[in-house]
Amino acid sequence: MTDCGCDKAMQELEEYLHNELRSEDAADIREHMENCVSCAGEHKVGIVLTDVVRRACKDTAPEELREQVLLRLRTLQTH
Amino acid sequence: MTLTMPLLTPELSWAPMSTPSDPTETRSPALVAGEAEAEVEAAAEAEAEETIVEAIEETTSPAELRALFEEQALPFIDQLYAAGMRMTRNPSDAQDLVQETFVKAFSAFRQYQQGTNLKAWLYRILTNTFINNYRKKQRDPYQGTIDDLEDWQLGGAESATSSRVGRSAEAEAIDHLPDSAVKDALQAVPEDFRLAVYLADVEGFSYQEIADIMKTPVGTVMSRLHRGRRLLRELLGEYARERGIAVGAPSRRRSPKHDGVEQ
Repeated sequence: MTDCGCDKAMQELEEYLHNELRSEDAADIREHMENCVSCAGEHKVGIVLTDVVRRACKDTAPEELREQVLLRLRTLQTH
Repeated sequence: MTLTMPLLTPELSWAPMSTPSDPTETRSPALVAGEAEAEVEAAAEAEAEETIVEAIEETTSPAELRALFEEQALPFIDQLYAAGMRMTRNPSDAQDLVQETFVKAFSAFRQYQQGTNLKAWLYRILTNTFINNYRKKQRDPYQGTIDDLEDWQLGGAESATSSRVGRSAEAEAIDHLPDSAVKDALQAVPEDFRLAVYLADVEGFSYQEIADIMKTPVGTVMSRLHRGRRLLRELLGEYARERGIAVGAPSRRRSPKHDGVEQ
């Protein structure tokens, strides 16, 4: 087994985080991070970044918007 | 096979565009709705092959069509509103944008290919509508050139917080920031970058789907995502530091006591 090294890991980390890598490449990155504190740390920051954005962006449409949309659809349908 | 074209207006037909779209050209609302027909070429192929993926039957009554649309599309209203909030940055514009999106989507719904990705289709209409109706209004000073800027022009050198010692503390600090701080930071990220981050990280779209939604090559999506996330990380790091939350800042790293604690 050969370590892919920090350069490859850092370069592909974002694709790894977004599940865009082929499984073999993802396995390389995963394996490297098991033995590299630095890259594992970057990975952790990346995950946290995604988590906080997802958490912060939860918005619920106001009820009046839903009503307005339904009303517009009904009006459109009659044309 | 019977011809099923007569009901289609020219703007809403599935004909592939003969010329590549020019992002700088001004588009009419009708054309925007036409463009919102996702997977133009795929649909043309599907039709040729008479596959099982079909547009809604002509015989569907208006009432049935509306019921189907409400059932399938309306559940996305919260997500579309949240995305609209990130795009327009204010509730009133976000509401108008979402309403406009649903109106356009409904008008084009007969041509939507049942069984294809409705969420991506709706996001494409949302994004188109935003770009055409709202972006001009907002006058983002970076608009149009943002992808060409060098990293140093975007502010923030390669993250000073990325020391090996600091990463764990950085992750911890970011994780504990209030949602309001994260939203503020997102708002400060240039629009195209912010949108790419939103579509990938919040909505979980693939790079290819984002490329389709933003009408840009996958390479540009990757670059926007990378730069957007990096800016966001720097902004959140700054925010945390300003409030005295340790993120492995240089001053802290000089302290021998903390050296190597994360090893």
